[in-house]
Amino acid sequence: MTIVHTDKLVRDYLRRLERAAAPLAPSRRAELVAEIREHIDDALLTAGAADEVAVRNVLERLGPPEEIAAAAGPSQRRSGRLELAAMIALAVPFVGWLVGVVLVAASRAWTGREKVVGIAICLVPVFIAGLGFVAVGAESSAEVGVPVGTAPGTLPEEHGGGGDGGLGPIELVVVLGTFLGGPLGAVYLGSRLRRTAAAGELASA
Amino acid sequence: MPCMEPGGTRNSLSQLRRGAVEYCVLALLRGGERYGFELVRKLSEVDGLVTSEGTIYPLLTRLRRDRLVTTFWRESETGPPRRYYQLTDGGREALAGFTEEWARFRNGVDGLLMEEGTR
Repeated sequence: MTIVHTDKLVRDYLRRLERAAAPLAPSRRAELVAEIREHIDDALLTAGAADEVAVRNVLERLGPPEEIAAAAGPSQRRSGRLELAAMIALAVPFVGWLVGVVLVAASRAWTGREKVVGIAICLVPVFIAGLGFVAVGAESSAEVGVPVGTAPGTLPEEHGGGGDGGLGPIELVVVLGTFLGGPLGAVYLGSRLRRTAAAGELASA
Repeated sequence: MPCMEPGGTRNSLSQLRRGAVEYCVLALLRGGERYGFELVRKLSEVDGLVTSEGTIYPLLTRLRRDRLVTTFWRESETGPPRRYYQLTDGGREALAGFTEEWARFRNGVDGLLMEEGTR
C-alpha cells in the first residue's frame, strides 16, 4: 500500500513548469508559476477534494508544463548558425575565445546564467593556466630555488620542477587548461541548446 | 498535398483556436471583471476551445501587455487576494472589430464547406 503525497505531485509539476519556462524573463517566469499554483489551489477548492485523483485531474486539465511555457513566449531560444559559430569559436584558443564570447553574448538562445557558466567553463581553466605561467615565470626568474610562495592559492599542488625545461605539472596544467576549457564550454552550451530544443518539440507536438 | 495530412489539419485547427480564444476572453469580460481561474473554467466549458487550461494564463499576460485588459487585485473570502481582469476601451474596440470580422469569416467558410456537390 503506497501513499502518494499529493503535495509532491504538485511540486513536481511546478518544478517542471519552472524548468520549461527557463527561457522567459525571471519575473515573467515567477508570475507564471504563481498563477498556475493559484489555479491549482482554486481548482482543488472548487473540486472540494485534494486527494490524488483530484490533484491528477487538475494537473491533467492544465496540460503539460512544457506546453504552458511554450505558450508564454514565442521561443526566443531558437538556435541556428550564430550558436553553432559561437561554439566552434570557443573551442579555438585565443582569437577564437574572443569571437566566441562575443557571439555567445549576442545570442538569444541561451539564458544569462547559461552564458556565464559556459564562458566560465571556457575561461577559468585558462585563467588558472595563466596564473601557472606567472608562477613558473616568477620561479625561473627568482631561480634561487625558493619558490615565490605567492602562486595565489589556485595551485595548491606541488610547484613542479619549474624552470628546467621539462613538462612539469604546471606546464601540463597550462596546456590542458588552454586546450580543454574551450571545448568543454562549447559542449556545455551545446547540451543546453539540445535540452531546450527537446522541450520545445514536446510542447509543439 | 503536403499539408493535407491529419497533422496539418490539427495544426491549423489549433492555430484557429489560439486566435479565437483571446477574443473569447475579451467577450467573457464584457459583462464585468473576472479572475483568472474563473475565466479559465468558463472557457474550458466550451467544447473544443481549450485543450490545456494552463495555456490561458500566458494569453492573459499577453492581453494585458497589449493593453486590451487591465488587472487589479481584490481580496477573496476563501484565500489569498486574486488578480482580476477587466476590459479596457481598446479591448472593447478590438472585440467589436473581431466580432464583425468573425461573422463574415464564419459565414464565408460555412458557405463553402456546406455547398456540397452544387455547381
